[in-house]
Amino acid sequence: MADKTLVHFFKALRGADVSVSTAEAIEAVSAVNMVGYQDRALLKITLGLVLPKTVDEKAYYGRCFDQFFSFSAYDNDNEALEGELADLDLSQLENNDPSSAGEGQGKCPGSGGGSGEGESSGNQSGSESATELGKMLLEDDQVALSMAIAKAANKIGMTKITTLTQKGLYGRRIMEAMGLDEMEKEMWAAEKQDNDAGDKLAKKLRSGRDNLREQIKDYVEQQYVLQAAQTGKELREEVMRSVKLEHLREFQDVQRLVRKMAKKLIAVHSRRRRVTQRGLLDVRSTLRNNAAYDGVLFDTRWKATRVDRPKVIAICDVSGSVSAVARFLLMFLYSLSEVIPKVRSFAFSNSTGEVTDLFERMDMEKAIEETITRHMGSTDYAQSLVDFKELCLDAVDSKTTVIILGDARNNDGESRSDILKEFYDRSKQVIWLNPETRSRWNTGDAIMKSYLPYTNKAEVCNSLNHLERIIGKLLKNS
Amino acid sequence: MNSKQELSAQDQIKAITDNFENVGYICNKDISTALFLSTSLQKPILVEGPPGVGKTELAKATAEILGCEMIRLQCYEGLDESKALYEWKYGKQLLYTQVLKETLGDILEGAKGLDESVKRLHEFGDIFYSEEFLEPRPLLKTLNAENRVVLLIDEIDKADQEFESFLLEMLSDYQISIPEIGTVKARSTPIVFLTSNNTRELSDALKRRCLHLYIPFPDVHLERRIIQSRVPDVAESLRNRLVSFVQHLREMDLKKIPAISETIDWARTMLLMHTDTLDPELVKDTLNVLLKHEEDISAVGSEVHKIMRELEKEER
Repeated sequence: MADKTLVHFFKALRGADVSVSTAEAIEAVSAVNMVGYQDRALLKITLGLVLPKTVDEKAYYGRCFDQFFSFSAYDNDNEALEGELADLDLSQLENNDPSSAGEGQGKCPGSGGGSGEGESSGNQSGSESATELGKMLLEDDQVALSMAIAKAANKIGMTKITTLTQKGLYGRRIMEAMGLDEMEKEMWAAEKQDNDAGDKLAKKLRSGRDNLREQIKDYVEQQYVLQAAQTGKELREEVMRSVKLEHLREFQDVQRLVRKMAKKLIAVHSRRRRVTQRGLLDVRSTLRNNAAYDGVLFDTRWKATRVDRPKVIAICDVSGSVSAVARFLLMFLYSLSEVIPKVRSFAFSNSTGEVTDLFERMDMEKAIEETITRHMGSTDYAQSLVDFKELCLDAVDSKTTVIILGDARNNDGESRSDILKEFYDRSKQVIWLNPETRSRWNTGDAIMKSYLPYTNKAEVCNSLNHLERIIGKLLKNS
Repeated sequence: MNSKQELSAQDQIKAITDNFENVGYICNKDISTALFLSTSLQKPILVEGPPGVGKTELAKATAEILGCEMIRLQCYEGLDESKALYEWKYGKQLLYTQVLKETLGDILEGAKGLDESVKRLHEFGDIFYSEEFLEPRPLLKTLNAENRVVLLIDEIDKADQEFESFLLEMLSDYQISIPEIGTVKARSTPIVFLTSNNTRELSDALKRRCLHLYIPFPDVHLERRIIQSRVPDVAESLRNRLVSFVQHLREMDLKKIPAISETIDWARTMLLMHTDTLDPELVKDTLNVLLKHEEDISAVGSEVHKIMRELEKEER
């Protein structure tokens, strides 16, 4: 039981962005076994030492712990009780919970279930209830109620809740598992009796039930936040990655995901560069150099691999038709500037302008907003390419990668693909990312076919997944 | 999990706190719990926090409580296993070969051909690569120690990532493989502290093997107690005033926020000045003890009067 609580807590933690590995989970359990559940503060400190591993995670952990181990009903009474609740004997719980007979333990005496109604008429005079749930409600025993709720929730598999709309369903199921049906039958029976005692009992039960319903609602809400946050987030990220860029709207979330993806790429690729920097022992050169020292290998020579720092020049179409997509490419470029020191970014619609300094000065959101407002217009590829050539053809050398993002819809204007050819000849590679699917590349006013010969690679790029793959390839080749 | 055992866990933690206090290290429950878990789970502790909050001090205090030796390994960029683990005593090896040249001649005398000479040499084994010629560095010293020691791996974030990976075997199994000698296991499990100033993100593999303790700046009460324990001669009113002042500085936008060690230094300065009150002019003159950047000093210098007035108001 105790371990089960912890396992649920781990799940909740993962939902709250604290990564908990299996090894850490095992450790947490043994640590808790050592300090026990008596002291809530100590439990919090203990788990806080074992599970979260960064300062951020500590903060998430603190919040999650308070939420998870809060049983508001008797918070003020006795803190230690909360811990005990998690650690209570099963037998004790079974006494409080009529539904546990269904668990097949065989330990529970048969009185819990159906026999309730028959006895009820006899007991009512003393304003007493025959059903377990009724008793609890009448006595207003908050501890027992909280435990019964937790137990019932366990039984119905509360942790499987995934979406917001299931809340009502799960609340109802918990009520049922706690023996609501019998209690209600008893209540109705009492009402029918038409005497004072019956009325009184029914009234009490009714208000007790309404309170309980509220309590369960809160509980379900809390559990939803703890348990479903993780799956919900995973689901959302999955969707965000594969949905078409122009349909992405939740800017905040996407920004976080893009940062995460860029960070991953940076981690993978910056590591490799350091290895190549060091190089291997150049045996031949070492021997030659040390001939003067009597052949003792004294002065070692290294085969230093020259690190090619990739230079990237990116030019984005920000005209109406592709601005939504450009926003995300700009976002990605912004994040990547950490790993590729030389990224120059340009934006164009009917003319081209450099936005590199904007990226350096402002934070992501502002820079992108500013770029788009500054360069918005109707597309003119010919003029834009002329400008582009003027601005940066001189900076292009054999190490430079030119990335062009655009749909090549030129409003029936000139293509000036000869300029692109100049870039193609001078640069290491020209990559064209087109947000439209391949079949639409040459339909309508799109003139992709005139540019295609002068690109090393032309790819469809309309989701974050595509973007990640392309940038990853770019880094790998550099 | 009987109640007696649980009780003893709490008592042990309490005892650790008290012991720390006896050696002049005032700590909160987090720290003593960390030490308790570390000894009972046999796991290293990774200590993080801003500079000057007593991360290194924690290891020293632990060694003092337990009455055992502390071995310190200061990390820096380019630190490798020859400096952390072991090194052959090249000088000694060279010297011995020179001295023994004659002896070698005697041994090889009369040997016919290369084969026989090599065979004779083999009979002497690898004397030059035995423990005699091994220079143990901090990690090997720790493993070889007869009694329990405290190992402090200071500023692990300054070392290269390769070194971090190299430490993994040490941290999880308390053993290290040396190619020439074999696997060396710890004779008694050491208590290991790693400290980090967060100049770079440590790898998950390393973090996973450690308990993670974050020491933040202390609150007013804790800091007062620390000053009381470290600089006991400072009058109470002055102590309270100066702690509040430093706490106030921590909320300002400064390049380097003063830590506990700076507060202690400042308290000592006040003691040297033979003063019982904190007057603004004196504060201005001694700000360089607290703040380490010229811009910070000038920024705070102009605000001293205002801060002092606010503090007085608060006290009332």
